[in-house]
Amino acid sequence: MNRSFHILVGGVSALLIALFLVLLIGMLLELWQQTSLRAPHFSEIVFAARLSLITATLASAIALAVSIPVAYAFSRYSFPGKDLFDTLLDLPIVLSPIAIGALLLIFFNTALGRQLEHWFGPFVFEVRGIVLAQFVVVVGLSLRLLKETFQAIDVEYENLARSLGYNQMQVFARVVLPMARRGLIAAFLLTWGRAIGEFGATVTLAGATTMKTETIPVAIFLNFESVDISSAIVFITILITMSFAILLFVRKTEAYVR
Amino acid sequence: MAIHLGCGRADEDTLGSLTLFCGSASKPAMEEISARFERETGIEVNTIFGGSGTLLSQIELSQQGEVYLPGSPDYIIIANRKKLLVENSERIVAYLVPAIITPVGNPAGVRSLSDLARPGVRVGLGNPETVCLGLYAVELLEANDLLEKVMRNVVTFGGSCSKTANLAAMSQLDAILGWRVFHFWNPDRMAYVPIAPEKIPRISYIPISIPIHTKDLELSRSFIEFVLSPAGRSVYEDLGYITDLEAAKKLAPRATVGGEYTLPQEYFDLLEGLREQR
Repeated sequence: MNRSFHILVGGVSALLIALFLVLLIGMLLELWQQTSLRAPHFSEIVFAARLSLITATLASAIALAVSIPVAYAFSRYSFPGKDLFDTLLDLPIVLSPIAIGALLLIFFNTALGRQLEHWFGPFVFEVRGIVLAQFVVVVGLSLRLLKETFQAIDVEYENLARSLGYNQMQVFARVVLPMARRGLIAAFLLTWGRAIGEFGATVTLAGATTMKTETIPVAIFLNFESVDISSAIVFITILITMSFAILLFVRKTEAYVR
Repeated sequence: MAIHLGCGRADEDTLGSLTLFCGSASKPAMEEISARFERETGIEVNTIFGGSGTLLSQIELSQQGEVYLPGSPDYIIIANRKKLLVENSERIVAYLVPAIITPVGNPAGVRSLSDLARPGVRVGLGNPETVCLGLYAVELLEANDLLEKVMRNVVTFGGSCSKTANLAAMSQLDAILGWRVFHFWNPDRMAYVPIAPEKIPRISYIPISIPIHTKDLELSRSFIEFVLSPAGRSVYEDLGYITDLEAAKKLAPRATVGGEYTLPQEYFDLLEGLREQR
Protein backbone atom coordinates (compact mmCIF):
# COMPACT_ATOMS: atom_id res chain seq x y z
CA MET A 1 0.00 0.00 0.00
CA ASN A 2 2.82 2.39 0.95
CA ARG A 3 4.62 1.52 -2.25
CA SER A 4 1.51 2.31 -4.34
CA PHE A 5 1.15 5.65 -2.56
CA HIS A 6 4.78 6.56 -3.24
CA ILE A 7 4.42 5.57 -6.89
CA LEU A 8 1.24 7.70 -7.21
CA VAL A 9 2.76 10.78 -5.58
CA GLY A 10 6.08 10.44 -7.38
CA GLY A 11 4.43 9.64 -10.72
CA VAL A 12 2.13 12.69 -10.71
CA SER A 13 5.05 14.91 -9.65
CA ALA A 14 7.24 13.52 -12.42
CA LEU A 15 4.47 14.06 -14.98
CA LEU A 16 3.97 17.67 -13.94
CA ILE A 17 7.71 18.39 -14.04
CA ALA A 18 7.88 16.65 -17.42
CA LEU A 19 5.05 18.85 -18.74
CA PHE A 20 6.99 22.04 -18.04
CA LEU A 21 10.26 20.57 -19.31
CA VAL A 22 8.54 19.46 -22.52
CA LEU A 23 7.18 22.99 -23.01
CA LEU A 24 10.66 24.47 -22.64
CA ILE A 25 12.30 21.85 -24.84
CA GLY A 26 9.59 22.31 -27.49
CA MET A 27 10.32 26.03 -27.59
CA LEU A 28 14.08 25.48 -27.92
CA LEU A 29 13.52 22.90 -30.69
CA GLU A 30 11.33 25.42 -32.52
CA LEU A 31 14.15 27.95 -32.31
CA TRP A 32 16.67 25.34 -33.47
CA GLN A 33 14.56 24.45 -36.53
CA GLN A 34 14.48 28.02 -37.82
CA THR A 35 16.19 27.92 -41.20
CA SER A 36 17.33 31.52 -40.91
CA LEU A 37 17.30 32.98 -37.44
CA ARG A 38 15.70 36.42 -37.32
CA ALA A 39 16.92 37.72 -34.00
CA PRO A 40 15.89 41.10 -32.65
CA HIS A 41 18.52 43.84 -32.49
CA PHE A 42 20.74 43.55 -29.42
CA SER A 43 19.89 47.14 -28.47
CA GLU A 44 16.16 46.24 -28.51
CA ILE A 45 16.75 43.23 -26.24
CA VAL A 46 18.81 45.34 -23.80
CA PHE A 47 16.20 48.13 -23.86
CA ALA A 48 13.28 45.77 -23.19
CA ALA A 49 15.13 43.89 -20.43
CA ARG A 50 16.26 47.13 -18.78
CA LEU A 51 12.82 48.74 -19.00
CA SER A 52 11.20 45.61 -17.57
CA LEU A 53 13.71 45.50 -14.69
CA ILE A 54 13.32 49.20 -13.84
CA THR A 55 9.52 49.34 -14.06
CA ALA A 56 8.94 46.04 -12.24
CA THR A 57 11.32 47.08 -9.44
CA LEU A 58 9.66 50.49 -9.06
CA ALA A 59 6.12 49.09 -9.22
CA SER A 60 6.77 46.33 -6.68
CA ALA A 61 8.71 48.67 -4.33
CA ILE A 62 5.81 51.17 -4.37
CA ALA A 63 3.31 48.32 -3.96
CA LEU A 64 5.23 47.05 -0.93
CA ALA A 65 5.55 50.54 0.60
CA VAL A 66 1.78 51.07 0.25
CA SER A 67 0.87 47.55 1.32
CA ILE A 68 2.80 47.58 4.62
CA PRO A 69 0.56 50.11 6.45
CA VAL A 70 -2.64 48.96 4.73
CA ALA A 71 -2.02 45.27 5.40
CA TYR A 72 -1.13 46.05 9.02
CA ALA A 73 -4.33 48.06 9.46
CA PHE A 74 -6.46 45.26 8.02
CA SER A 75 -4.72 42.61 10.10
CA ARG A 76 -4.97 44.47 13.41
CA TYR A 77 -7.96 46.80 13.43
CA SER A 78 -11.71 46.33 13.17
CA PHE A 79 -13.80 49.04 11.52
CA PRO A 80 -17.18 49.33 9.79
CA GLY A 81 -17.19 47.92 6.26
CA LYS A 82 -13.85 46.14 6.75
CA ASP A 83 -14.91 43.02 4.81
CA LEU A 84 -16.21 45.15 1.98
CA PHE A 85 -12.99 47.19 1.70
CA ASP A 86 -10.87 44.08 2.10
CA THR A 87 -12.71 42.47 -0.82
CA LEU A 88 -12.34 45.66 -2.86
CA LEU A 89 -8.58 45.59 -2.34
CA ASP A 90 -8.49 41.93 -3.39
CA LEU A 91 -10.09 42.78 -6.74
CA PRO A 92 -6.80 43.31 -8.66
CA ILE A 93 -5.89 39.68 -7.93
CA VAL A 94 -8.92 38.34 -9.79
CA LEU A 95 -9.53 41.11 -12.33
CA SER A 96 -8.18 40.51 -15.80
CA PRO A 97 -5.18 42.85 -16.35
CA ILE A 98 -6.72 44.17 -19.58
CA ALA A 99 -9.76 45.25 -17.53
CA ILE A 100 -7.43 47.08 -15.12
CA GLY A 101 -5.70 48.76 -18.06
CA ALA A 102 -9.05 49.83 -19.51
CA LEU A 103 -10.15 51.21 -16.11
CA LEU A 104 -6.95 53.26 -15.90
CA LEU A 105 -7.29 54.54 -19.47
CA ILE A 106 -10.89 55.54 -18.80
CA PHE A 107 -9.85 57.22 -15.53
CA PHE A 108 -7.25 59.40 -17.28
CA ASN A 109 -9.99 60.58 -19.62
CA THR A 110 -11.90 62.08 -16.67
CA ALA A 111 -11.40 65.60 -15.28
CA LEU A 112 -9.59 64.21 -12.21
CA GLY A 113 -7.37 62.01 -14.35
CA ARG A 114 -6.42 64.93 -16.60
CA GLN A 115 -5.69 67.08 -13.55
CA LEU A 116 -3.42 64.36 -12.14
CA GLU A 117 -1.56 64.21 -15.46
CA HIS A 118 -1.23 67.99 -15.33
CA TRP A 119 0.32 67.83 -11.84
CA PHE A 120 2.46 64.70 -12.12
CA GLY A 121 3.10 64.46 -15.87
CA PRO A 122 1.58 62.14 -18.47
CA PHE A 123 0.84 58.49 -17.77
CA VAL A 124 -1.08 57.52 -20.92
CA PHE A 125 1.29 56.01 -23.54
CA GLU A 126 4.29 56.83 -21.35
CA VAL A 127 6.74 54.79 -19.25
CA ARG A 128 5.14 56.03 -16.01
CA GLY A 129 1.95 54.38 -17.28
CA ILE A 130 3.79 51.04 -17.21
CA VAL A 131 4.77 51.55 -13.57
CA LEU A 132 1.22 52.57 -12.64
CA ALA A 133 -0.36 49.65 -14.52
CA GLN A 134 2.04 47.14 -12.96
CA PHE A 135 1.49 48.69 -9.52
CA VAL A 136 -2.31 48.35 -9.72
CA VAL A 137 -2.02 44.77 -10.96
CA VAL A 138 0.42 43.62 -8.24
CA VAL A 139 -0.68 45.62 -5.21
CA GLY A 140 -3.52 43.20 -4.43
CA LEU A 141 -1.06 40.30 -4.32
CA SER A 142 1.35 42.26 -2.15
CA LEU A 143 -1.49 43.16 0.28
CA ARG A 144 -2.69 39.57 0.49
CA LEU A 145 0.80 38.24 1.26
CA LEU A 146 1.53 40.92 3.88
CA LYS A 147 -1.85 40.54 5.59
CA GLU A 148 -1.06 36.86 6.11
CA THR A 149 2.41 37.76 7.36
CA PHE A 150 1.13 40.28 9.94
CA GLN A 151 -1.71 37.97 11.02
CA ALA A 152 0.86 35.25 11.75
CA ILE A 153 2.67 37.52 14.24
CA ASP A 154 1.27 37.10 17.74
CA VAL A 155 -0.14 40.40 19.08
CA GLU A 156 1.28 39.52 22.49
CA TYR A 157 4.77 40.54 21.28
CA GLU A 158 3.43 43.99 20.52
CA ASN A 159 1.58 44.22 23.86
CA LEU A 160 4.76 43.25 25.67
CA ALA A 161 6.76 45.91 23.83
CA ARG A 162 4.11 48.52 24.65
CA SER A 163 4.23 47.53 28.35
CA LEU A 164 8.02 48.07 28.25
CA GLY A 165 7.50 51.68 27.10
CA TYR A 166 7.62 51.54 23.29
CA ASN A 167 5.12 53.75 21.47
CA GLN A 168 3.06 52.37 18.56
CA MET A 169 5.56 53.52 15.92
CA GLN A 170 8.50 51.99 17.80
CA VAL A 171 6.60 48.73 18.25
CA PHE A 172 5.93 48.61 14.52
CA ALA A 173 9.48 49.51 13.48
CA ARG A 174 11.40 47.48 16.06
CA VAL A 175 9.15 44.49 16.69
CA VAL A 176 6.63 43.92 13.91
CA LEU A 177 8.78 44.72 10.85
CA PRO A 178 11.80 42.64 11.95
CA MET A 179 9.50 39.70 12.69
CA ALA A 180 7.85 40.14 9.27
CA ARG A 181 11.12 40.31 7.30
CA ARG A 182 10.67 36.92 5.63
CA GLY A 183 7.17 37.81 4.51
CA LEU A 184 8.32 41.23 3.31
CA ILE A 185 11.11 39.78 1.19
CA ALA A 186 8.87 37.07 -0.23
CA ALA A 187 6.09 39.61 -0.98
CA PHE A 188 8.53 41.93 -2.76
CA LEU A 189 10.08 39.20 -4.86
CA LEU A 190 6.78 37.56 -5.83
CA THR A 191 5.16 40.88 -6.76
CA TRP A 192 8.32 41.73 -8.70
CA GLY A 193 8.02 38.45 -10.58
CA ARG A 194 4.36 39.15 -11.30
CA ALA A 195 5.13 42.72 -12.43
CA ILE A 196 7.88 41.71 -14.84
CA GLY A 197 5.50 39.41 -16.70
CA GLU A 198 2.61 41.91 -16.75
CA PHE A 199 1.22 42.63 -20.21
CA GLY A 200 -2.52 43.32 -20.44
CA ALA A 201 -2.76 46.44 -18.28
CA THR A 202 0.60 47.77 -19.52
CA VAL A 203 -0.25 47.54 -23.21
CA THR A 204 -3.68 49.12 -22.68
CA LEU A 205 -2.49 52.12 -20.67
CA ALA A 206 1.07 52.64 -21.89
CA GLY A 207 0.65 51.26 -25.41
CA ALA A 208 3.15 49.13 -27.33
CA THR A 209 5.75 51.54 -28.65
CA THR A 210 9.04 50.04 -29.81
CA MET A 211 12.02 51.29 -27.79
CA LYS A 212 9.76 53.43 -25.59
CA THR A 213 7.18 51.33 -23.72
CA GLU A 214 8.53 48.01 -24.99
CA THR A 215 8.83 45.72 -21.97
CA ILE A 216 9.71 42.08 -22.61
CA PRO A 217 6.05 40.90 -22.69
CA VAL A 218 5.24 43.76 -25.08
CA ALA A 219 8.19 42.73 -27.28
CA ILE A 220 6.86 39.14 -27.35
CA PHE A 221 3.43 40.45 -28.40
CA LEU A 222 4.86 42.72 -31.11
CA ASN A 223 7.01 39.97 -32.60
CA PHE A 224 4.14 37.47 -32.62
CA GLU A 225 1.91 40.04 -34.26
CA SER A 226 4.58 40.54 -36.95
CA VAL A 227 4.77 36.72 -37.33
CA ASP A 228 8.44 36.93 -36.33
CA ILE A 229 8.42 33.78 -34.26
CA SER A 230 12.16 33.38 -33.71
CA SER A 231 12.43 36.90 -32.26
CA ALA A 232 9.40 36.20 -30.05
CA ILE A 233 11.10 33.03 -28.79
CA VAL A 234 14.29 34.97 -27.99
CA PHE A 235 12.23 37.33 -25.77
CA ILE A 236 10.28 34.42 -24.22
CA THR A 237 13.61 32.74 -23.35
CA ILE A 238 14.82 35.95 -21.68
CA LEU A 239 11.56 36.27 -19.70
CA ILE A 240 11.73 32.63 -18.60
CA THR A 241 15.39 33.00 -17.55
CA MET A 242 14.67 36.15 -15.54
CA SER A 243 11.56 34.62 -13.93
CA PHE A 244 13.38 31.39 -13.11
CA ALA A 245 16.24 33.33 -11.56
CA ILE A 246 13.90 35.39 -9.38
CA LEU A 247 11.92 32.35 -8.19
CA LEU A 248 15.13 30.52 -7.35
CA PHE A 249 16.34 33.61 -5.52
CA VAL A 250 13.07 33.68 -3.48
CA ARG A 251 13.64 30.10 -2.41
CA LYS A 252 17.28 30.69 -1.46
CA THR A 253 16.44 33.94 0.37
CA GLU A 254 13.63 32.30 2.31
CA ALA A 255 15.97 29.49 3.34
CA TYR A 256 18.67 32.01 4.34
CA VAL A 257 16.32 34.22 6.40
CA ARG A 258 14.82 31.16 8.08
CA MET B 1 20.01 54.55 -24.59
CA ALA B 2 17.73 56.21 -22.11
CA ILE B 3 14.46 55.26 -20.51
CA HIS B 4 12.45 58.36 -19.68
CA LEU B 5 9.93 58.06 -16.88
CA GLY B 6 8.47 61.41 -17.79
CA CYS B 7 8.34 62.56 -21.37
CA GLY B 8 6.88 65.78 -22.63
CA ARG B 9 3.11 65.82 -22.59
CA ALA B 10 1.84 65.00 -26.05
CA ASP B 11 -0.42 68.02 -26.43
CA GLU B 12 2.35 70.39 -25.37
CA ASP B 13 4.69 69.22 -28.12
CA THR B 14 2.91 71.00 -30.92
CA LEU B 15 5.75 70.75 -33.43
CA GLY B 16 8.22 68.11 -32.34
CA SER B 17 6.29 64.87 -32.49
CA LEU B 18 3.29 62.99 -33.76
CA THR B 19 1.54 59.89 -32.47
CA LEU B 20 0.80 57.11 -34.94
CA PHE B 21 -1.62 54.32 -33.98
CA CYS B 22 -0.47 51.48 -36.20
CA GLY B 23 -1.91 47.99 -36.73
CA SER B 24 0.83 45.62 -35.64
CA ALA B 25 0.94 43.78 -38.97
CA SER B 26 2.37 46.97 -40.53
CA LYS B 27 5.11 47.22 -37.89
CA PRO B 28 8.10 46.33 -40.14
CA ALA B 29 7.04 48.80 -42.84
CA MET B 30 6.03 51.66 -40.59
CA GLU B 31 9.15 51.44 -38.43
CA GLU B 32 11.23 51.96 -41.56
CA ILE B 33 8.98 54.74 -42.95
CA SER B 34 8.81 56.53 -39.58
CA ALA B 35 12.60 56.42 -39.25
CA ARG B 36 12.95 57.99 -42.72
CA PHE B 37 10.32 60.63 -41.86
CA GLU B 38 12.17 61.48 -38.65
CA ARG B 39 15.48 61.78 -40.51
CA GLU B 40 14.00 64.05 -43.18
CA THR B 41 11.82 66.31 -41.02
CA GLY B 42 13.27 66.06 -37.50
CA ILE B 43 9.76 65.30 -36.24
CA GLU B 44 9.63 62.40 -33.80
CA VAL B 45 7.09 59.66 -34.57
CA ASN B 46 5.70 57.91 -31.48
CA THR B 47 4.20 54.73 -32.85
CA ILE B 48 1.79 52.71 -30.74
CA PHE B 49 1.31 49.22 -32.14
CA GLY B 50 -1.55 46.86 -31.46
CA GLY B 51 -4.64 45.21 -32.83
CA SER B 52 -6.64 47.64 -34.98
CA GLY B 53 -9.70 47.52 -32.69
CA THR B 54 -7.65 47.98 -29.52
CA LEU B 55 -5.94 50.99 -31.08
CA LEU B 56 -9.31 52.51 -31.94
CA SER B 57 -10.41 52.12 -28.30
CA GLN B 58 -7.16 53.78 -27.22
CA ILE B 59 -7.75 56.68 -29.63
CA GLU B 60 -11.29 57.11 -28.30
CA LEU B 61 -10.31 56.97 -24.63
CA SER B 62 -7.05 58.90 -24.76
CA GLN B 63 -8.32 61.48 -27.28
CA GLN B 64 -4.86 61.49 -28.82
CA GLY B 65 -3.30 60.59 -32.14
CA GLU B 66 -2.32 62.25 -35.39
CA VAL B 67 -2.54 59.21 -37.67
CA TYR B 68 -4.46 55.91 -37.56
CA LEU B 69 -3.31 53.00 -39.73
CA PRO B 70 -5.44 49.90 -39.10
CA GLY B 71 -5.01 46.56 -40.85
CA SER B 72 -8.21 46.75 -42.87
CA PRO B 73 -10.97 49.16 -43.94
CA ASP B 74 -13.67 47.78 -41.61
CA TYR B 75 -12.07 49.65 -38.70
CA ILE B 76 -12.34 52.87 -40.70
CA ILE B 77 -16.08 52.18 -41.05
CA ILE B 78 -16.36 51.67 -37.26
CA ALA B 79 -14.24 54.77 -36.57
CA ASN B 80 -16.32 56.89 -38.95
CA ARG B 81 -19.52 55.63 -37.30
CA LYS B 82 -18.10 56.77 -33.96
CA LYS B 83 -16.99 60.09 -35.52
CA LEU B 84 -13.38 59.46 -34.49
CA LEU B 85 -11.79 60.40 -37.82
CA VAL B 86 -11.46 63.61 -39.80
CA GLU B 87 -14.05 63.42 -42.57
CA ASN B 88 -12.75 62.15 -45.94
CA SER B 89 -9.21 61.76 -44.62
CA GLU B 90 -9.00 58.07 -45.57
CA ARG B 91 -6.33 57.06 -48.13
CA ILE B 92 -5.11 53.66 -49.34
CA VAL B 93 -1.59 52.50 -48.46
CA ALA B 94 -1.56 48.99 -49.96
CA TYR B 95 -3.91 46.42 -51.45
CA LEU B 96 -4.55 43.00 -49.91
CA VAL B 97 -5.23 40.11 -52.28
CA PRO B 98 -6.63 36.83 -50.92
CA ALA B 99 -4.42 33.74 -51.23
CA ILE B 100 -4.08 30.28 -49.76
CA ILE B 101 -1.31 30.30 -47.18
CA THR B 102 0.28 27.01 -46.11
CA PRO B 103 3.11 26.07 -43.79
CA VAL B 104 6.41 26.16 -45.66
CA GLY B 105 6.75 23.17 -48.00
CA ASN B 106 2.95 22.88 -48.29
CA PRO B 107 2.88 19.42 -46.63
CA ALA B 108 -0.79 18.76 -47.51
CA GLY B 109 -0.16 19.54 -51.19
CA VAL B 110 -2.85 22.21 -51.47
CA ARG B 111 -2.75 23.55 -55.04
CA SER B 112 -6.11 25.29 -55.50
CA LEU B 113 -9.19 26.60 -53.75
CA SER B 114 -11.03 23.31 -54.35
CA ASP B 115 -8.21 21.41 -52.59
CA LEU B 116 -9.36 23.07 -49.36
CA ALA B 117 -12.51 20.95 -49.64
CA ARG B 118 -10.54 17.69 -49.85
CA PRO B 119 -11.40 15.34 -46.96
CA GLY B 120 -8.86 15.53 -44.17
CA VAL B 121 -7.38 18.94 -45.08
CA ARG B 122 -7.27 21.08 -41.94
CA VAL B 123 -8.25 24.66 -42.79
CA GLY B 124 -8.22 27.90 -40.79
CA LEU B 125 -10.04 31.17 -41.47
CA GLY B 126 -10.09 34.56 -39.80
CA ASN B 127 -13.20 34.71 -37.63
CA PRO B 128 -15.80 36.00 -40.13
CA GLU B 129 -17.78 37.71 -37.37
CA THR B 130 -14.83 39.71 -36.00
CA VAL B 131 -12.02 39.82 -38.58
CA CYS B 132 -12.55 41.21 -42.08
CA LEU B 133 -10.13 38.59 -43.44
CA GLY B 134 -12.73 35.99 -42.43
CA LEU B 135 -15.50 37.90 -44.19
CA TYR B 136 -13.49 38.00 -47.42
CA ALA B 137 -12.80 34.26 -47.10
CA VAL B 138 -16.49 33.40 -46.69
CA GLU B 139 -17.41 35.60 -49.67
CA LEU B 140 -14.65 33.96 -51.74
CA LEU B 141 -15.86 30.47 -50.87
CA GLU B 142 -19.51 31.37 -51.41
CA ALA B 143 -18.76 32.91 -54.83
CA ASN B 144 -17.02 29.68 -55.86
CA ASP B 145 -19.69 27.30 -54.47
CA LEU B 146 -17.24 25.91 -51.94
CA LEU B 147 -18.58 27.34 -48.72
CA GLU B 148 -20.29 24.21 -47.43
CA LYS B 149 -17.51 21.80 -48.45
CA VAL B 150 -14.65 23.91 -47.05
CA MET B 151 -16.50 24.81 -43.84
CA ARG B 152 -16.51 21.09 -43.03
CA ASN B 153 -12.70 21.23 -42.99
CA VAL B 154 -12.41 24.44 -40.95
CA VAL B 155 -10.94 23.49 -37.58
CA THR B 156 -10.41 26.96 -36.13
CA PHE B 157 -10.88 30.70 -36.60
CA GLY B 158 -8.05 33.20 -36.03
CA GLY B 159 -8.87 36.23 -33.86
CA SER B 160 -6.94 38.69 -36.05
CA CYS B 161 -4.98 38.73 -39.32
CA SER B 162 -1.72 38.08 -37.47
CA LYS B 163 -3.20 35.30 -35.35
CA THR B 164 -4.60 33.65 -38.49
CA ALA B 165 -1.19 33.92 -40.19
CA ASN B 166 0.44 32.43 -37.10
CA LEU B 167 -1.77 29.32 -37.47
CA ALA B 168 0.08 28.58 -40.73
CA ALA B 169 3.46 29.85 -39.54
CA MET B 170 3.31 27.54 -36.50
CA SER B 171 2.23 24.60 -38.74
CA GLN B 172 -0.99 24.17 -36.76
CA LEU B 173 -3.02 23.63 -39.94
CA ASP B 174 -2.62 22.54 -43.56
CA ALA B 175 -3.82 25.85 -44.99
CA ILE B 176 -5.48 29.14 -44.17
CA LEU B 177 -7.31 31.60 -46.34
CA GLY B 178 -5.25 34.73 -45.83
CA TRP B 179 -3.68 37.63 -47.68
CA ARG B 180 -0.96 37.00 -50.26
CA VAL B 181 1.38 39.22 -48.24
CA PHE B 182 1.35 36.82 -45.24
CA HIS B 183 3.94 34.72 -47.06
CA PHE B 184 6.30 37.70 -47.27
CA TRP B 185 5.96 38.37 -43.54
CA ASN B 186 7.85 35.17 -42.83
CA PRO B 187 8.85 33.24 -45.99
CA ASP B 188 10.86 30.76 -43.93
CA ARG B 189 7.66 29.49 -42.37
CA MET B 190 4.86 30.20 -44.85
CA ALA B 191 4.24 29.47 -48.52
CA TYR B 192 1.42 30.84 -50.63
CA VAL B 193 -0.73 29.30 -53.31
CA PRO B 194 -2.24 31.89 -55.66
CA ILE B 195 -5.98 31.75 -56.22
CA ALA B 196 -7.09 31.82 -59.88
CA PRO B 197 -7.57 35.56 -60.59
CA GLU B 198 -11.12 35.25 -61.96
CA LYS B 199 -12.24 33.50 -58.77
CA ILE B 200 -11.53 36.44 -56.46
CA PRO B 201 -14.67 38.58 -55.94
CA ARG B 202 -13.16 41.25 -53.67
CA ILE B 203 -9.80 42.60 -52.53
CA SER B 204 -9.11 44.61 -49.41
CA TYR B 205 -6.63 47.32 -48.53
CA ILE B 206 -4.67 48.91 -45.72
CA PRO B 207 -6.13 52.36 -45.07
CA ILE B 208 -4.61 55.35 -43.33
CA SER B 209 -6.59 58.18 -41.78
CA ILE B 210 -6.54 61.11 -39.37
CA PRO B 211 -8.07 60.90 -35.88
CA ILE B 212 -10.40 63.76 -35.00
CA HIS B 213 -8.25 64.61 -31.95
CA THR B 214 -5.12 65.37 -33.98
CA LYS B 215 -3.21 68.29 -32.52
CA ASP B 216 -1.89 69.30 -35.94
CA LEU B 217 -3.97 68.50 -39.02
CA GLU B 218 -1.26 69.66 -41.43
CA LEU B 219 1.33 67.48 -39.72
CA SER B 220 -1.05 64.48 -39.99
CA ARG B 221 -1.55 65.19 -43.69
CA SER B 222 2.15 65.61 -44.41
CA PHE B 223 2.94 62.31 -42.67
CA ILE B 224 0.28 60.52 -44.73
CA GLU B 225 1.68 62.09 -47.92
CA PHE B 226 5.11 60.80 -46.92
CA VAL B 227 3.73 57.27 -46.41
CA LEU B 228 2.07 57.44 -49.84
CA SER B 229 5.13 58.96 -51.56
CA PRO B 230 7.32 56.74 -53.78
CA ALA B 231 9.76 56.39 -50.86
CA GLY B 232 7.02 55.19 -48.51
CA ARG B 233 5.44 52.89 -51.06
CA SER B 234 8.81 51.33 -51.90
CA VAL B 235 9.19 50.26 -48.26
CA TYR B 236 5.84 48.48 -48.42
CA GLU B 237 6.69 46.95 -51.81
CA ASP B 238 10.02 45.64 -50.54
CA LEU B 239 8.04 43.78 -47.89
CA GLY B 240 5.79 42.11 -50.48
CA TYR B 241 2.82 44.50 -50.43
CA ILE B 242 1.07 45.72 -53.56
CA THR B 243 0.66 49.50 -53.50
CA ASP B 244 -0.56 49.97 -57.07
CA LEU B 245 -4.21 49.29 -57.93
CA GLU B 246 -3.37 48.14 -61.45
CA ALA B 247 -0.91 45.57 -60.11
CA ALA B 248 -3.54 44.33 -57.65
CA LYS B 249 -6.14 44.15 -60.41
CA LYS B 250 -3.85 41.85 -62.43
CA LEU B 251 -4.16 39.32 -59.60
CA ALA B 252 -7.92 39.81 -59.29
CA PRO B 253 -9.35 41.49 -62.42
CA ARG B 254 -13.01 41.00 -61.51
CA ALA B 255 -12.67 42.01 -57.89
CA THR B 256 -14.23 45.04 -56.28
CA VAL B 257 -12.05 46.99 -53.85
CA GLY B 258 -13.18 47.19 -50.23
CA GLY B 259 -16.84 47.82 -49.53
CA GLU B 260 -19.08 45.87 -47.22
CA TYR B 261 -20.13 42.24 -47.34
CA THR B 262 -22.80 40.76 -45.09
CA LEU B 263 -22.45 37.16 -43.98
CA PRO B 264 -25.14 35.07 -45.69
CA GLN B 265 -27.69 33.11 -43.65
CA GLU B 266 -26.20 29.97 -45.27
CA TYR B 267 -23.01 30.54 -43.28
CA PHE B 268 -24.85 30.59 -39.93
CA ASP B 269 -26.94 27.56 -40.92
CA LEU B 270 -23.73 25.72 -41.81
CA LEU B 271 -22.14 26.62 -38.48
CA GLU B 272 -25.24 25.41 -36.63
CA GLY B 273 -25.31 22.16 -38.64
CA LEU B 274 -21.60 21.50 -38.03
CA ARG B 275 -22.02 22.20 -34.31
CA GLU B 276 -24.82 19.64 -34.10
CA GLN B 277 -22.78 17.06 -36.03
CA ARG B 278 -19.87 17.48 -33.61
